[in-house]
Amino acid sequence: MEITTDKNDKAENGEKITGLFEAAGVVYLDFGNCRFVKHGDFLGAEISVGEAKSYGRVWLHRSFPYELPENYISVQDADGEEIGLIRSLDSYGEEQKALIGAELARKYYTPKIERILSLKETHGTSFWKCLTDAGELSFTLQDTSRSISKVGGDAAVITDMFGNRYRIASLKGLDKKSMRKLEIYL
Amino acid sequence: MKELDRIPREVYAEAEKFGVFERDILAAAASDRSRDGIYCDNWILVTRDELLLLGGIDVVEPDERRRRSDPRRLTVKYSKISAERLDRKELSDFKTEKLISGCILTAVDRESQNSVLITYLTCEKEKSMGELCAFLNEECEIETGGRSDGAPPARQGRDARRKGPGGPGGPGGPGGEPGGGDELYCPKCGRKYPDPRTAICPHCVSRASVVERLMGFVKKYRVSVLLILLAMGLTSALSVISPYVSSQFFYDQVLTVGGEFYGQVALVIFIIVSLKVLSLLVEMVSNIITARVVPKIVYDLKETIFSSIEKLSLSYFTNRRTGALMNQVGGDANTIYWFFVEGLPYLIVNVVQTLAVAVIMFFIDWRLSLVAVAFCPAAFFAVKWLYGVMKKLNARRYSASRSMNGMLSDVLGGVRVVKAFARENEEIDRFDKKSGDLATADKTATSFETVMFPCVTFMFVISSVLITGIGGWLVIKGMLTYGKLLSFTAYAAMLYSPMVFFVNITQSITNCFNATYRLMEVMDAEPEVKEKANAENVGRADGRVTFENVCFGYDKSRRVIENVSFDIEAGKKIGIVGHTGAGKSTLANLLIRLYDPDEGRILIDGRDVRELSFETLRKNIAIVSQETYLFQGTILDNIRYAAPDATLDEVICASKASGAHDFIVKLEDGYSTRLGWGYKELSGGERQRVSIARAILRNPRILILDEATSAMDTRTERAIQEALEKLTEGRTTIMIAHRLSTLRDCDSLLVIEHGKVAESGTHSELIRQKGIYYKLYTLQYEALKNAGVEE
Repeated sequence: MEITTDKNDKAENGEKITGLFEAAGVVYLDFGNCRFVKHGDFLGAEISVGEAKSYGRVWLHRSFPYELPENYISVQDADGEEIGLIRSLDSYGEEQKALIGAELARKYYTPKIERILSLKETHGTSFWKCLTDAGELSFTLQDTSRSISKVGGDAAVITDMFGNRYRIASLKGLDKKSMRKLEIYL
Repeated sequence: MKELDRIPREVYAEAEKFGVFERDILAAAASDRSRDGIYCDNWILVTRDELLLLGGIDVVEPDERRRRSDPRRLTVKYSKISAERLDRKELSDFKTEKLISGCILTAVDRESQNSVLITYLTCEKEKSMGELCAFLNEECEIETGGRSDGAPPARQGRDARRKGPGGPGGPGGPGGEPGGGDELYCPKCGRKYPDPRTAICPHCVSRASVVERLMGFVKKYRVSVLLILLAMGLTSALSVISPYVSSQFFYDQVLTVGGEFYGQVALVIFIIVSLKVLSLLVEMVSNIITARVVPKIVYDLKETIFSSIEKLSLSYFTNRRTGALMNQVGGDANTIYWFFVEGLPYLIVNVVQTLAVAVIMFFIDWRLSLVAVAFCPAAFFAVKWLYGVMKKLNARRYSASRSMNGMLSDVLGGVRVVKAFARENEEIDRFDKKSGDLATADKTATSFETVMFPCVTFMFVISSVLITGIGGWLVIKGMLTYGKLLSFTAYAAMLYSPMVFFVNITQSITNCFNATYRLMEVMDAEPEVKEKANAENVGRADGRVTFENVCFGYDKSRRVIENVSFDIEAGKKIGIVGHTGAGKSTLANLLIRLYDPDEGRILIDGRDVRELSFETLRKNIAIVSQETYLFQGTILDNIRYAAPDATLDEVICASKASGAHDFIVKLEDGYSTRLGWGYKELSGGERQRVSIARAILRNPRILILDEATSAMDTRTERAIQEALEKLTEGRTTIMIAHRLSTLRDCDSLLVIEHGKVAESGTHSELIRQKGIYYKLYTLQYEALKNAGVEE
């Protein structure tokens, strides 16, 4: 199923189901009601929905990390409850975008595999040595095929036995030697 | 010292440079990413007053000390690159927090209350770092007497996901208890089924009609099939001719002085080669046609079976197991496929060939033929017996192996239960027995095979020895030519070779007939719930629901619903209460027409549901049942299942209203998280929330929530109800619940007992009546009060 941003305004989209927006009570955030500030090494927010409130540290989660990394970003408080949802970063200026971008980049950072240097498998456990954008990394997968999943079309995410993730930005873009090692698991 | 990872010598040496000696270190842990996120080897050393962060790398180099004894031996040395000191007194609330890949260690600055990132780490180090946090926080508490507050949100999310295995539920069956099991007797003739699992009575199956149906699948491809048969006929004719040419003709006409073609060896060689080439070509052509046609026929078959099954009413599914149905789609199609590819063509070839061979043999010499043919029945029955016994032994071997595998998957899947009840040793014994059974079955089958096969083969040897002996005598007496004897022995071998095939084909024909018959059964089964020919299409219903004297039983002999009548005004909210098995879910199944009532009527806006089109029903009614079924695919796909063109905003709002949004975005892949076998497993409550989102997006006039919030805690349930409250305004809502607190906002309540409406009214009316509802209510209320929870 294709995933694209809705072009229309949210209110217009909501008309199809009466009362859905009121019932859901989704709080939409933009530059008008939500400004981000530095909170130590992390991100804090000042949000005025109803009343102005200064939140301490806030957590950002992408709803569609692969398809729409810049849209539908959930802002949550320390209890893991959603304060609001940023439909799009458009309303934010450069400085704010940089703050948000840094926080998201930290959270969603996944080493990008550029080349598979070696891949050996014994009894379903496979040992990988890869060249990534964070240097050469080695990791181990249990149940290899099921640890590799294709996401958002041409990309793939690999999860190792500890839960660390690595990503391949484009399977088509991978060199032939690496692909030959990888393809039997896809 | 709390040494969570073994500290190398070099680290101590480096620490000393900062005035930190071994005796000062209270705790230490290694992390494999630095404060900047770089993958390297770092140490966190905890002293009374500070945290010393050493950034560096492990350098692998030849071991100097053992260079002489083992030059290849390597040693790891720690090499420091950076160092940082943090004041411990300024920090509190240490915790690890999960990122998409890896984790971070954070703390809170006491003075500014700002969060501080101490270091990155991979998931591998998460556990030891967690212990370090516990150590640090404990020390904080002792020093300040303060209390660190709750767990970090990321952890909460993860723990919640870990809760409960949340195994995949079966496909939505009805809530009721359908009766019936394996039937043992044919309902038509009363004879016992030879195999109760297949439930096929050979007496009542008309063979001709089965063949006719079977041929129906082939009809589309009759030209190709005819070509194949022709090619096969040609192949067998060629193979029948070739012994004649290569032996009788060659010896008697070419090699014998006075023969018609005496001396023309090249001619014979030419004939033999051309015959071979011709038969090769014919075979190739027929194989190519087969390879093209057969997959198409099988595709047709599977398509027919699957669409027939999907069209059937739910009652058909409740009377059969899902496994059996899956078998039907896959297995039966394969059986029929096998028959067409391997069975039928070779049957034709072998029958034609055997008859031709027998006729030729009689023409060559009738006396020898009598000997050869006399052995046929004996050989046939010997082979039949051999295969019969083999089949039994193999079946035993198969069932032993299946039983062992079944037990394995059962025990490994339920390992939590096994451990919880400390049944490991019993399970090991059980496995030992099953494994032993398999070994015994294996041994018996293999020994029988190795002994008996050569014995039966020996029978053929006797026959050919007899033919050679008698034939040789006839040649000496001048009653038979040498060439004729040679070709006769070749034909005799051809006569015996398809014996094994003939023994097996009877079974495969039976299997194919059974498969086709089962297929016919499904294809011919009339769906019990049928859409009326001129069913009414109503766009949007008002939502008034009326039950008029409705009676129903899954099993016609046992009523589950007995004379139920009630009326729900459009837009009202009604709650249905009752004991387990009272028939609550059945009422919902009847309303959405998964079944039709045996007596009485069900009306929507005053129209009988049987008069309405399926589309109208499905559009206006949505049900969230207790057994939630999520398909393989992403969460987004699952929520959009019933409304594929819903916008992302709608999806998010529906998820938010059902309480699913907050946990979904916390998943690494958000709405793009894949569900299903081998992927993410959601807990029971999470699955229910996703299902509710799916139903909300459907935007129905009538919403049925059948124990839809049963797997959630009361607080989550409450929050979802508040959202639903706003959403269901003006919609008819039927809520079925066991927990009475779920139903407290309902406009009225129905108490169902033994399939009848026992009481009805509002909450306060029912309490005043002091009947069943009152009893249930006080019971649950008391239980809550005893547990210290006041509603």
